[in-house]
Amino acid sequence: MTALTTAPTPPRVGPPEKRRRRVGFSQRLSRWDVKVSPYLYISPFFIIFAITGLFPLLYTGWVSLHKWTLIGGEAGYTGFDNFTAIFQQSEFWLSLRNTFMIFLLSSVPQVIIAIVLAAILNQNIRAKTFWRMGVLIPYIVAPVAVGLIFGQLFADQYGVINTALHAIGLPKIGWHSNTFASWSAIATMVNFRWIGYNTLIFLAAMQAVPTDLYEAAVIDGAGRMRQFFSITLPQIRATIIFVVITSTIGGLQIFDEPRTFDVYGTGGPSHQWETTTMYLWNLGWGPQQNLGRAAAVAWLLFVVIVIFALINYFVSSRISTSEARRGTSKQGRGRRSSTDRKGAVR
Amino acid sequence: MLTHRPSRPARRIIVAGASVAALALTLTACSSDDGGSGSSKTQDANEKITLTVATFNNFGYTQDLLDSYTKTHPNVTVKQEIAATSDDAKANFTTKLAAGGAGLADVQAVDIDWMPTVLQYEDKFTDLSDKSLDGRWLDWKAKQATAPDGKLLGYGTDIGPEAICYRQDLFEKYGLPSDPDKVAELLGGKDATWDKYFQVGEQFVAASKGKVAWYDSPDGTYQAMVGQLANPYENSDGTPKDLSSNADIKALFEKVATESKDKGLSAHNQEWQPDWTASFQKDAFATMACPPWMTASIETNSGGVKGWNIANVFPGGGGNWGGSFLVVPAAGKHTAAAKEFAAWLTAPEQQLAAYKQANNYPSQVEAQKDSAVADSTNKFMNNAPVGKIFADRAAAVTVTPFKGPNYFTINKAVTDALVAYDVQGKGSVESNWNAAVDAYKALGLG
Amino acid sequence: MSSVPMTAQTAGKGAARAAARRSGGSTGFGAERRPRWLTYTILAVVVVVSIAPLYYTLLLGSSDQQTISKHVIPQWLPDASIFDRFSDVINSGSFNFTKALSNSIIISVVTAFSVVLFSTLAGFAFAKLRFKGRRGLLVFVIATTAVPTQLGVIPLWIIVTDLGWQNQIQAVIVPALVSAFGVFWMTQYLEAALPYELIEAARVDGASMIRTFWSIALPAARPAAAMLALFTFIQQWTNFFWPSIVLSQDNATLPVVVKLLQGSFHTDFSLVMAGVFLTTVPLIIVFILAGRQLVAGIMQGAVKG
Repeated sequence: MTALTTAPTPPRVGPPEKRRRRVGFSQRLSRWDVKVSPYLYISPFFIIFAITGLFPLLYTGWVSLHKWTLIGGEAGYTGFDNFTAIFQQSEFWLSLRNTFMIFLLSSVPQVIIAIVLAAILNQNIRAKTFWRMGVLIPYIVAPVAVGLIFGQLFADQYGVINTALHAIGLPKIGWHSNTFASWSAIATMVNFRWIGYNTLIFLAAMQAVPTDLYEAAVIDGAGRMRQFFSITLPQIRATIIFVVITSTIGGLQIFDEPRTFDVYGTGGPSHQWETTTMYLWNLGWGPQQNLGRAAAVAWLLFVVIVIFALINYFVSSRISTSEARRGTSKQGRGRRSSTDRKGAVR
Repeated sequence: MLTHRPSRPARRIIVAGASVAALALTLTACSSDDGGSGSSKTQDANEKITLTVATFNNFGYTQDLLDSYTKTHPNVTVKQEIAATSDDAKANFTTKLAAGGAGLADVQAVDIDWMPTVLQYEDKFTDLSDKSLDGRWLDWKAKQATAPDGKLLGYGTDIGPEAICYRQDLFEKYGLPSDPDKVAELLGGKDATWDKYFQVGEQFVAASKGKVAWYDSPDGTYQAMVGQLANPYENSDGTPKDLSSNADIKALFEKVATESKDKGLSAHNQEWQPDWTASFQKDAFATMACPPWMTASIETNSGGVKGWNIANVFPGGGGNWGGSFLVVPAAGKHTAAAKEFAAWLTAPEQQLAAYKQANNYPSQVEAQKDSAVADSTNKFMNNAPVGKIFADRAAAVTVTPFKGPNYFTINKAVTDALVAYDVQGKGSVESNWNAAVDAYKALGLG
Repeated sequence: MSSVPMTAQTAGKGAARAAARRSGGSTGFGAERRPRWLTYTILAVVVVVSIAPLYYTLLLGSSDQQTISKHVIPQWLPDASIFDRFSDVINSGSFNFTKALSNSIIISVVTAFSVVLFSTLAGFAFAKLRFKGRRGLLVFVIATTAVPTQLGVIPLWIIVTDLGWQNQIQAVIVPALVSAFGVFWMTQYLEAALPYELIEAARVDGASMIRTFWSIALPAARPAAAMLALFTFIQQWTNFFWPSIVLSQDNATLPVVVKLLQGSFHTDFSLVMAGVFLTTVPLIIVFILAGRQLVAGIMQGAVKG
């Protein structure tokens, strides 16, 4: 304790005899400390969120129950009319389909590739900084540059990819006219931007995996694949859950990439790649300026996201738990990871 | 003994971070005094005030020009806020308007495309009517900014009278007359019609054996045509026309769709998309509807391609595409001073300066007659006398389409269907028209 | 400490040392062997693809609009003409570049610092401390990220105008001071990376909660904290929409002013790309500086004895 030079206050814990004398007070202080500290630690988030996050949420909820135009403002309470009207719009269901498909085409490969890349980076490689920072570069490139580049790649007539396909005698792909091709192109943009990001998240988790687990596995004769599936994956379970949930939430709110997929940003003439967040933006800020309905879509999407996040949570925690069990039992050392432990400090 | 502690570099980072944060807060506190316009509500003539004018893209208002206002109005300082594109400016403008108007600039530049919103919520804007300004603008320009009850809500800046830009070299190559006057004549001169335009186009495309299309895009051509109808989608009282029984629009749609795709007159691109931009390089088409501001786009996109020229002609009479206004939001603190300033900024002298700076063709009658505009030529367009051409084209505009609150919603439904058919090759003319009607019905406008 | 339940595990020094051994000096999977060429080939391909767009902006910035509209790839190597473009951007009369640069630095540094601090505090509480409503509050934090934020600008703008913060950078900073994502991330990370034995040991030694946090949780959180700081920094550095609403070009951030190089109808992409690259340069410097630190932080592992 004495070595703690950076502590803001001098060490409160003195020599044993001194401590014994003040035990009553320090015990009370400590009990108070234990009770209040957690709330104190989480309070900055909740206080700032209450100011900058909660009001917008409630506001959106309030708007969704009214006839409300962007500029004109409130024009009477309508109950759930906005919601029932949305259910009858085929555009809404189309947008959900598009969102879900782009989500599938991006999130699944993204998570898998990111884990593999992280495992590769987690080796004892040379020039670690270079490789690690290298994979994160797509995350820092300004959207205007990314939009320009992918615009030239995926243009239907004169795009780089189609020109190349044509040159080798293959038919051109209608990146914008073909619905599935447009989803794939957008998913490519998403993956390009976010794989490096998720890779580093997984890498951080892998770095925290205790070395002696691997040492033990090596002694047991486990190969690299075996180590990866039996130690690495179960050990980074919490992070996998984290990435799956955040990419579910982020993926279902996908907005920037499909918006930059063409210069109009409205989702294509037949709504081929109009996602639900784009739909709500178009409703509110587009020519209709129907903020009431846009708010209703926001809340409906929220419900959809929560349902999906829960499903993914159960699926991913089930998978990684069973892997953890398999892994530890096969290893024969029976070492429990700290995540499996139920206890928490009181 | 617990010896866990941050290692030295980490400590350094934490300390450095803390001091940067502290520094940042101090800086923030220091810099937070400026910003925002003046605060007093009283309108004292000598009170020092700052007026903000929000523009986008390039309006051609230099700081020198704005400063010259201070010379005649010593108590007023003018600050310009610029947004990159009209889309960015619109998002900014509508967000602040939606939140009640706080933070809007004293004078706000508004694209013609957002004018329906301004007209719809006229009580959120200052009435700019001023007898002394009558006749400053072309009639149809002033009409675009006039509310049904006669209030003038915006002062016109520039306009977009359309001519036909064409590729002289390609005309020559495929046996059409290439001299601008001859081209104007070929398309019918004063009595040019769209039928004639399409007919010549069919000849041209046949002569080029389908290698070169006649025009750039179905949507650009459609917008030029729809801009010549007085009430394209809505009645003058603002009620929408049922699209399924809107015979004018259906006829236009079918005409453009058939000519574009079935007759192969369009280059099958949608305006502003990368393919469209690239098509300027590929000799993909020979003509396009062309307001003054478009000449700059053509020049940029063509990058070295020579042979562009402008013919002083437009099918179906005159047509206008684009142009902007200055409006004064009512939430501003100095609306009277802002009105006076907006009037000054849209006076012919200032718009002349803006034309020199940014080639925004003025909407003021006097400015158009001034030799600085009237005698101007465009080097890239084979030294075409653009000053004279666009003055003629502006004078030819007789119809101002009524754009009510639902104009853009319905227009998008029709344009989307057109693009789906010609550019993306989906379905038939019939099925795409039905799609447009379905999209209209989904709006629930009744 | 009486509040620490007696567990079957050994407490105190032994546990601390054991835990330190568990994760100290981790080089991870396949530790002993240097990887072979296949690894480097895969990485090289990934990095080339990753860097390509940035390199492409450099090429476009070295070219001019005429050439760009003619050729998709104007040239294969950047040249010195990009420096003229840089000076065009910096000396542009329509905005204040240096002001935007300093604003971007302040905003990114302050938010990165604050997000890391508050997220680690909250993450520590959620992951390792027991208190009433823990699970519910954590679910609430995660759920807040599931609400589409596109509509939030109107109410947020109402708040900003009420506070009189128009055109002031605290309007950008304050909403970004905390991040639900960060809290969730730190919670998940600390849950796995911070062994209970360590906390118990500290508590047995009589450390207060805040000291336990400071001396145990914070060091354990370093790899994740470095990552979160980097992510937050980049996110704020590239953030466009909200700053474009609250700030004007004389007191803007870099993405806002760079956007000004882009016009509605005709855009000099060469100039825009030079601007884009110029605003990315500081990030690359941060990468080089922080990257070393970041890797070092990760390499040292969670706990150093």
